[in-house]
Amino acid sequence: MAQPNLNKMRTAIGGLLGAALLAVSLAAPAAAQDSGQVYQPTIWIDPDGCEHWVMDDGAEGFMTPNLQRNGDPVCHRAEICGVMPTDQLFATDRYEIDANGRATLENFFRSANAFGFMIYGHTDARASDEYNMTLSQNRANAVAAVAQGIGARVVDIRGFGERRPRADNTTVEGLQQNRRVEVYCLR
Amino acid sequence: MIPMKTIAFGLVAITAACSQIGDDKSVDRGVNAHHLSTMVAGIWVDPNGCDHWIIDDGVEGYADARLTPDGRPVCSGVAPPNTVIGPFQQGSPIPDTL
Repeated sequence: MAQPNLNKMRTAIGGLLGAALLAVSLAAPAAAQDSGQVYQPTIWIDPDGCEHWVMDDGAEGFMTPNLQRNGDPVCHRAEICGVMPTDQLFATDRYEIDANGRATLENFFRSANAFGFMIYGHTDARASDEYNMTLSQNRANAVAAVAQGIGARVVDIRGFGERRPRADNTTVEGLQQNRRVEVYCLR
Repeated sequence: MIPMKTIAFGLVAITAACSQIGDDKSVDRGVNAHHLSTMVAGIWVDPNGCDHWIIDDGVEGYADARLTPDGRPVCSGVAPPNTVIGPFQQGSPIPDTL
């Protein structure tokens, strides 16, 4: 009488165990998706000074750029080879370069020893955003024209207006530092 | 004829070797072990004329976009489309026979 009951219990326990194992094996992939398999990258810095995530998974390699949420790559300042304070190049609100400024710029572009240049204009935060976008673009264009005038290769020209300050816009010194044209050298 | 068991064992051995890579993917643990930050890149120019960093790191290959400060592609004209220049194969002593 007791024996068949025990067998029944064993069968039941076996069934439960089997069901439990099945449940675990089914649940495992879902759990892995939730928490994610750890894939720890390192950072590779390209010759321009910008960061890339890189992983070596044995036989495969993976690489993708380290971007801020706004799409800007995370870069180090080393790639900027010239910062022209615009107070020395341009009168307030203007974008014409005089003979002195032209000579200084030509000298810079000749001695930079670069394959090409990327030229970016910036302003301080006075006046409207739209006005500053236009002014900085015009100033970048003017500097680029000097480079192109001596046969240098200009790869990119853009005005960023007041959107990328490098200093505090509430101090006189900060405002002055923000009025600039940056030149990136591609080597 | 190679016994099936030998092939199976070989596969298991390869799988086991590969599964020993841990969570940290920052190092090439192959023949010439090195940290990935030391790799040397060349430039590959895509069919649109835009630049990509390219690295032949022995068994692994890497490529990634060259970007402007605001995330647009850099199309420098450093070489014609569909060509590669620079020391991109210098990062590894493993000969690239293909």
